[in-house]
Parts: sequence; C-alpha cells; structure tokens
Amino acid sequence: MSKKDKIAKKSSAKIKPGRLARREAITGLLFVTPWIIGACIFLAYTMGTSFWYALNNIRMTPMGKKFTYVGTGNFTQILLADVDFTPQLIEYVTSTVLSVPIIVVFALIIAMLLNGPIKFKGFFRLIFFLPVIVVSGPVMGMLADQGAATISTIDTQAITAAMSGFLPESMATAISELFGSMITVLWYSGVQILIFLSALQKIDSSMYEAAQMDGGSGWECFWKITLPTIKPMILLNVVYTIVFISGNEQNTIITLIQNSMFSGTKEKGYGYASAMAWLYSLVVVLIVVIFAALLMARKDVYERQVKKAKRDMKKEARLVKKIERRGIRNAKKIEKARKKRKYSTYDGSGDY
Amino acid sequence: MAYKGHRINPKGFEKSQIKIILLLLPLIIFMALPIVYIINHAFKPMEELFAFPPNFFVRNPTLDNFTALIKASRTAGIPMSRYVFNSLIITSVTIVLSLLFTTMAAFALSKIRFRAKYVLMDINQAAMMFVATAVLIPRYLVMTFTGTINTYVAHILPLLAVPVALFLVKQFVDQVPDSLLEAAYMDGASDRQVYTKIIIPMIKPAIATAAIMVFQQVWTNMETSNYFVNDDSLKTLTFYMNTLANANNTVAGQGMSAAAALIMFIPNLVLFILLQNNVMNTMATSGIK
Repeated sequence: MSKKDKIAKKSSAKIKPGRLARREAITGLLFVTPWIIGACIFLAYTMGTSFWYALNNIRMTPMGKKFTYVGTGNFTQILLADVDFTPQLIEYVTSTVLSVPIIVVFALIIAMLLNGPIKFKGFFRLIFFLPVIVVSGPVMGMLADQGAATISTIDTQAITAAMSGFLPESMATAISELFGSMITVLWYSGVQILIFLSALQKIDSSMYEAAQMDGGSGWECFWKITLPTIKPMILLNVVYTIVFISGNEQNTIITLIQNSMFSGTKEKGYGYASAMAWLYSLVVVLIVVIFAALLMARKDVYERQVKKAKRDMKKEARLVKKIERRGIRNAKKIEKARKKRKYSTYDGSGDY
Repeated sequence: MAYKGHRINPKGFEKSQIKIILLLLPLIIFMALPIVYIINHAFKPMEELFAFPPNFFVRNPTLDNFTALIKASRTAGIPMSRYVFNSLIITSVTIVLSLLFTTMAAFALSKIRFRAKYVLMDINQAAMMFVATAVLIPRYLVMTFTGTINTYVAHILPLLAVPVALFLVKQFVDQVPDSLLEAAYMDGASDRQVYTKIIIPMIKPAIATAAIMVFQQVWTNMETSNYFVNDDSLKTLTFYMNTLANANNTVAGQGMSAAAALIMFIPNLVLFILLQNNVMNTMATSGIK
C-alpha cells in the first residue's frame, strides 16, 4: 500500500472517543440541561404544536377546541386571498433590508466616536444606550401614537417625487418612509453600539501603533485592522437588529397576526394565525440567512488549500479503489469465461 | 485608538476633542428625545395632552395625572402594594434564574465539546426568529398540563429561556481565549471553577446587557398576566397600570397612562444607572486581548 493510501485510510477511519472526551461531553450536557429542558417545553414543543395548528382550522366552541384538518389550506388562503398579509410582508421586507445596514453602520460610527479619548465619555455613552430601555416597552407605542417618533418637518412627498425619477415607485416610497422614521431607526441602535464598543476595545492598540509606524493612515487602519477584527460582531449585530425589528411590538405584521388570532370569523382564528406566524418566521429566517451569507467570514487561504488537498487525496484513493475493484471483477470474468470454454483450446493467454 | 484603563473619561480636555463632541451633540439630542418626552408628558395638564399640534415640552406642569392615578388605585379592591410586590418577586426571580441558565448554556455551547451542540444552537437561532405570539396557546396548554396556571410560576416560566440573550452571551463567551481556560484546567480547575472564576468575570458586560434586556422583557410583559393568570391578586404592576389607564374613560385615562408610563419607566432607569458602569466599561478592564 502506498503512503497516500494509508493516510486516506486513517482519515476515514472512525476515531472512538476516549474517556476524557466522554467526560467532557457529559459535563457539557450537564451545563446545558436546564436550558434544554426550558427550550424543549417552551420553545420546541410549542413551536411544533403551533405548526400542527397551522395545518388545522381551529374553532373555539364552548365544548373546547374544534379541529378540522385542512392541510395547507391556511397557507394558500393567506398567500392568495388575504388582502393584508402579502403587501405588509413586502413592506416589512423592504424596510428591514433598508434599515438594517443603516442601523449597523450608524452604530459602528457612534461606537468608534465613543471609543476615542473624549471628555464626558461616560455621559455620552449613557445617553446613547438610554433609548434601549425605552423602545422595547409600551412607552414606544405611546410615542409613536403621539407622532414623536417621526420627523414631521421632513416632506416625505418631495423625497418620493425626487427618487421616483430613477427608482421604481415602491422602492422610492420605502426610502422616503425610512427618512420619516429616521429617529426610530437611530433609537434602535443602543445594544448594537454597545456590542461594537466592546469589540473595538478588545483590539490591541499595538497593532495600530505598528501600522502607524509603517505609515498607515487612519483610513487604512480602519479598513485593514478595525473592520476585519470586528467582523464577527458585525454579523452578530445584523442578526440582532433583524430579530429586534421583526419581533417588535411596533411591527404591523405582529399586530395582524394577533388580530386574526382573536377574530371570530369562520376561516380565521388560531390555526390561521399560526400559519401566518410560520410564514412570517420563514421570511425572517430567509432575510437573516441572506445577510449572514453576505457577511460570513471566509476561511483563510491556508485552510482552503488544506481542505482542497484533503479532497483531492480522497478522490485519488477512491479512484485507486475503483481500479482495484475493477481488476478483481475483470479477473473473475476472465476466470468464468475460461471455465465456460473448458474444452476450447483458447486459454486466454493469447496463444494456442 | 483603544483606550485602556479603569476610568472612562480622560483627565484632560484637549482641543482635538471638540470636533468629536460637536459631532456627537446633535445625535445626543435625538437619542435623548424619548426620555425627555416621557417626563414632560406625565406632567402635562389635560388641555396640553390633547393639544394639536402636540407640544413636546410641558408649559404648565401639574401633578394632576398622578393624583388621578392614586385616586383610581384607592378605589380598587386590591392595594397597589400587592402589585408592586408581585412585580418585584417575579422580575427578580426571572432575572436571576434566566441569567444563570443563559450563562451556563452559553459556556457549554461555546467551550465544551459534546454531541448535538450545533443542533441545539440551531434550535436556539430558529426560536429567536419565531413570533412569540404564535406559541401563546401551546404555552397555555403546557401551563394547564403542569398545573402552574394561576401561580407565580406562570409568570416566570415562559420568560426563563431568552434566545436572544443566549445568542448575545454566547458570542461574548466565544471571545474568551481558549488558552486561558486551558491554563486553568492545567492548574487543576474543574469545569465549575472555570465557569465561576473565569467565564463569569470575563463576560460581565454581556451579563449586564442581558440583565437589562431580560428586565425589560419581564417588567413590561403583560402577556402572562393577561393569559396565564386569572387571579387578580397575582397579576403584575404593568398590567394593573394598564387597566387603570384604560378602564376609566379614555379622556381621563390619557393623563393617567402618561403618569403610569413615567412610573413604569423609573425602575428601568434606576436599574440602568446601577448597571451602567458594568455595561459601559465593557471589556476594557477584563484583560482579554
């Protein structure tokens, strides 16, 4: 056997976990157990049940819940017949896709400003984090009702008109609405600022010093040192922002789901709302996946090469095996043929 | 550049700071708007509450809204202190337990190798993006099945597992270098010791942030009071404040709800100011590079 074969065999062989690894696994599981129990009962089980509900039409009667299995009926009805859901979903998607980058970039800028040595830094940080404790409560609803969360002085009509010149109508409205709700967008960035700050503070200052010694400008330092180092935190912030926007009480789709849940009409009700929630969650997951795919850290060159070499090695080993197998098979065939022609003079060697 | 040290503010004031401060000041005004608004709104007399266009600042501050609120609570059967007590118990227990579970799970999911780790993480991610309202009735069924309806447990259990907090804390645990843990293990530390002596102190800022988030969620939560608890004496302060503002006629209710909003907001502010040192210092002093 060649050396390559041996390596290929070794890598494919299953390594049995030793006692230490087993013990580690057990402690790991022990640490997560409380969380698993909670998650099973209140997340996994309830999500499963709600999926089952989504496939049913549920009516609340004095005798209890009445299930009628409708299969995908709820889903098709939502997508084809519901006048509110699809337009609101589209509006939600555009506004989310537009506002997430704004929030994250704004948070990064503020975090970088706050990271510098300035006076009253503590005060500044306090103020920038404060909206976090406001926007998640019922207070936010009140503020929005009062119109305090929008800039009424900005004429959104003018922006829409200006933009519709080179953008499709729906995009233009979405962008001008974004301008209108700019304050809300900025209020949502408290936690993100914090996460960025902690990431920025962990960057070794000697790296900047080294870069400056070699003549790097602040701009270059930002692109070559700051951004690559905080990349995982950018992803974290993007995911956090999307989840926050999607689960917010201000979200119109959440209100829609709630309304249809408690509506007494024949075709709506709990099953219908569950189906709606599932569809909505699917869309949210999709948005997160797309953003994550855009931002996912690429493996570095060395790792990629190692992976490629391993793959090639496996391929070669497979080829060798294939040839070996074919050889055996052919030998058998020849043997068979020879037996069949026992009395023939031909013995397969080519000469008579 | 990264500023290292225990004190946030630099000692001196330099001219180079002026441009940063000038940049930050207008933004500060934006960010401080909601708080200013809440405080102003609570002191507005009736005619200013309904003024159109609405005023941002109060002109003739009064305490009418607060007195109306107190008067309304006197006529109710159950004293307000009962609701305050309920809210305090529920909030503190939930925060302590959920932070404990969250940090433990984050430690294990991030640093310990075991089977099904990634599946668990994926479940958490999926749960994070799921609409909470959709699982209301299944939750109710679980509650009735376990017989926890109409108890304090009904308030606490549904809010214990906070997927977003776990996600956040886990990201911070990921940042703790493995070599630090290895050094501890080499010196004979057990898993429990590593968890309490290394992980917890190092991720303090994340814990403080998660604490504020969990507090938010529990304190402002009305879902559990609405759906899982029928006994009026076991409901929370938030629920009570909300009913007070809504039960009376809507015109008078406006002023009361403004006052209630301020009262509900103050604990948030207090907790935040208590924790802010931890949150703000973030990881600068924890020695991770």
